[in-house]
Amino acid sequence: MDSEDTATATDSAAGFDVTVTMGQMDSGLDPQDHAETNTNIIVSQAYEGLMDRDKEGGIVAALATDWERVEPGVARFTLRDGVTFHDGDPLTAEDVAYSIRRIVFNDVGIASPQSTDLGTLKSREADGPPPVEPGDGEVTVRFDGLNPIVFQLFATNGEILQQSWVEENGEDYINRNTNGTGPFRLSEYASGNRVVFERNEEYWGDVPEVTETTLNASTESSTRVNRLLAEESEIVTNVPPQEVARVNESDAAEISSVPSTRIIFLQMRYDVEPFSSQEFRQALNYAVDVEEIVENVLNGFGSITSQPTLEQFVGHNPDLDPYPYDPERAEELVEESGFAGAEITLETPIGRYLKDVEIAQAAASQISELSNVTCEVEQREFNALVQDVTASSIEDRPRFNLLGWGNAEFDASQTITPLLSSTGDLTMLKNDEIDGLLADAESEADPEAREETLQEANARLNELAPWVFMHQQFSVYGTSTDISWEPRADEFIDVDTVSQM
Amino acid sequence: MSQGRFVAKRVLQGVGVVWGVVSIVFLLRFITPGSAINAVAPLDADQETRQAIARELGLDQPLHVQYGDYLVSLLQGDMGFSYVRGQEVTTLVFSKVPATVELAVAATVVAIGLSIPLGVVSATRRNQPVDWLATLFSLAGISTPNFWLGIMLILVLAVQLGIFQTSGRAVAAVEVAAAVVGPASFVKTLRLWLAHITLPAVALGTYFTALVTRLTRSGMLDELGKPYVRAARAKGLPEAMVRYKHALRNTLIPVITVLGLQLGTLIGGAVITEAVFSWPGLGTLVIRSINLRDWPVLQGSLIVIGTSFVLVNILVDVVYSSLDPRVVND
Repeated sequence: MDSEDTATATDSAAGFDVTVTMGQMDSGLDPQDHAETNTNIIVSQAYEGLMDRDKEGGIVAALATDWERVEPGVARFTLRDGVTFHDGDPLTAEDVAYSIRRIVFNDVGIASPQSTDLGTLKSREADGPPPVEPGDGEVTVRFDGLNPIVFQLFATNGEILQQSWVEENGEDYINRNTNGTGPFRLSEYASGNRVVFERNEEYWGDVPEVTETTLNASTESSTRVNRLLAEESEIVTNVPPQEVARVNESDAAEISSVPSTRIIFLQMRYDVEPFSSQEFRQALNYAVDVEEIVENVLNGFGSITSQPTLEQFVGHNPDLDPYPYDPERAEELVEESGFAGAEITLETPIGRYLKDVEIAQAAASQISELSNVTCEVEQREFNALVQDVTASSIEDRPRFNLLGWGNAEFDASQTITPLLSSTGDLTMLKNDEIDGLLADAESEADPEAREETLQEANARLNELAPWVFMHQQFSVYGTSTDISWEPRADEFIDVDTVSQM
Repeated sequence: MSQGRFVAKRVLQGVGVVWGVVSIVFLLRFITPGSAINAVAPLDADQETRQAIARELGLDQPLHVQYGDYLVSLLQGDMGFSYVRGQEVTTLVFSKVPATVELAVAATVVAIGLSIPLGVVSATRRNQPVDWLATLFSLAGISTPNFWLGIMLILVLAVQLGIFQTSGRAVAAVEVAAAVVGPASFVKTLRLWLAHITLPAVALGTYFTALVTRLTRSGMLDELGKPYVRAARAKGLPEAMVRYKHALRNTLIPVITVLGLQLGTLIGGAVITEAVFSWPGLGTLVIRSINLRDWPVLQGSLIVIGTSFVLVNILVDVVYSSLDPRVVND
């Protein structure tokens, strides 16, 4: 079968085609009615938000050219002129306002799973101007409180749809078609099979070099790698460590990796023995050799963490060191905690995160090497584990489990608040000092002062050790040597930046 | 019993089977840990968001209300809405049927095309090299896991030699048919279709081929030793007519039963082959729906699979009753 028969890189006078193979296909094309990465990758080819991020996570302009905090809790976005949807209609402030309302308010169109992603908006019943107000080429958004990270939130979330298009078409239609402003427009949607986009010649920004892009999926990692090596795909996602050598040995492809925004950790419930003891929690941090796990289980595709906040995030504390591997110190701390002889069970999801079961087994085995603690692993189907992790009462949550957390907003608060504050929906910790520091950060308008507060919270969390701090997961891609593309920290695949070698 | 009543009885039994499948799957959702809300909502969704999603999906209703609503909708031809994809289940499920049927039929064609001639030759040349080869092939075919075979086929014939595509489904069989009269190049479309379907069809059909080869061989040997064959030969009938008109026809009765049952199994059971080859069929849809707790899609898929199985079985019974009218009166 020659290359012209396949929907893959073919030279043409006007550009070239790119096929991307992921682990899963989309869960519908409505950009506001999902909460998972693969769908994001697909819909982001066609839809855009007011702001965007560069490869490293820095904030850049998109459909808004300017943004400002006009007063505490009120943000104003100035819209870009001359932007049109794929159907040719111009982007209006009403479209932007409607899109924000559709995400936030459950009675506008859908109950969006992204309803908290833009921060808490002012109530519509409250006196005064409305929470989302379209103006002349601008949109004003009013929040309940300061919302100090409003621009971080809008840089990651909030794709814009056309109001009339949404209202005229049903949910089924919106999930099978697109009408965005992005660099690519939909040309074919075969649900669960492939999504094909052609480049948007009317795009407001740089028109992509790529003429057509096909996004498909293979759940089997070996099939994804085979597609890459057979030159049927130019980019494949999530190449597992055991397949890396096969890619590197090939002339057709190479490995590209980048630290992702996902942190992996073992969380411990503060309210049950033996995890109620800070000494015991610290002991487990000394007992697990994360460096060895990253090297041997992940083939080096990970970096060790010392705190809940990753290095490139706002609030990361650069003065903290990871806990060293020191089993003797761990045994001493277990003795001090009064829980010598403890038998604990680590619950882990199966196949949700890269090598999750192997990581949990390695960590449990290292803990069990201590003379005074025994640790077993319980493998859980992810959905069943999530049911427990998200239980409304902390008493119903697991005592000790492996979890991963993606934070595409690049801000410490978006990890610490849900996972480690007493009001967090997934919290395993209740600590007044941490709550106080988070409240201070939430009401602090000065970015530098806010970052210092968050760094202090991270220092305190390192000491409190509510998690066994494991590693930052890397995104590992296989890419064809025919193309040039730099992966992004936030796991999106920006096909519009792909160029030909 | 007339053949019409015989078929009607089978159809009624089939409706009962499908209803049973629907009910069991519906009840399973209440004893399976995990919730569809977790597949829709982000991990940190607050309780208010979770409740809003539950209301929107109708998951806040009691079991009997949800079950009753579902059956009423089903009778109106509406399988509901996917929790996760926000798409109509009927459209979604039926969009996967052609891929699965195409693969199942292709695997069956591979199996029939190879197994019956191989079985016949093997029986008529018993204990000769061709028989030993056929026996060895069928033993290997039955013993080889099809996922392993699939991976090997991909590595050798797709990655190394580049003869076939590693995975996916670029064009449908109907597009190949349409190319005969349409503007697309027929040869190019056919090559593209063959490049994608050959390896999964061979991987899926190998076990089946081996099974039917053995069945045909033993059936033929059995028939060829019977008195009516001796009588036919004594009557002076040509050997070809004895073998293919008389012995093979009788051999085919159990073979058709197995073929029918296997075709039903292929429609619902090609999950592993579909995963290895990223074949976008019902098997892939079922697995994804289970992982996401997308119950309406799972139920819709199982109804279609169950109905297909029942229909294939009825068809087998009808063919069987034509070949052997005694079946109708049993």
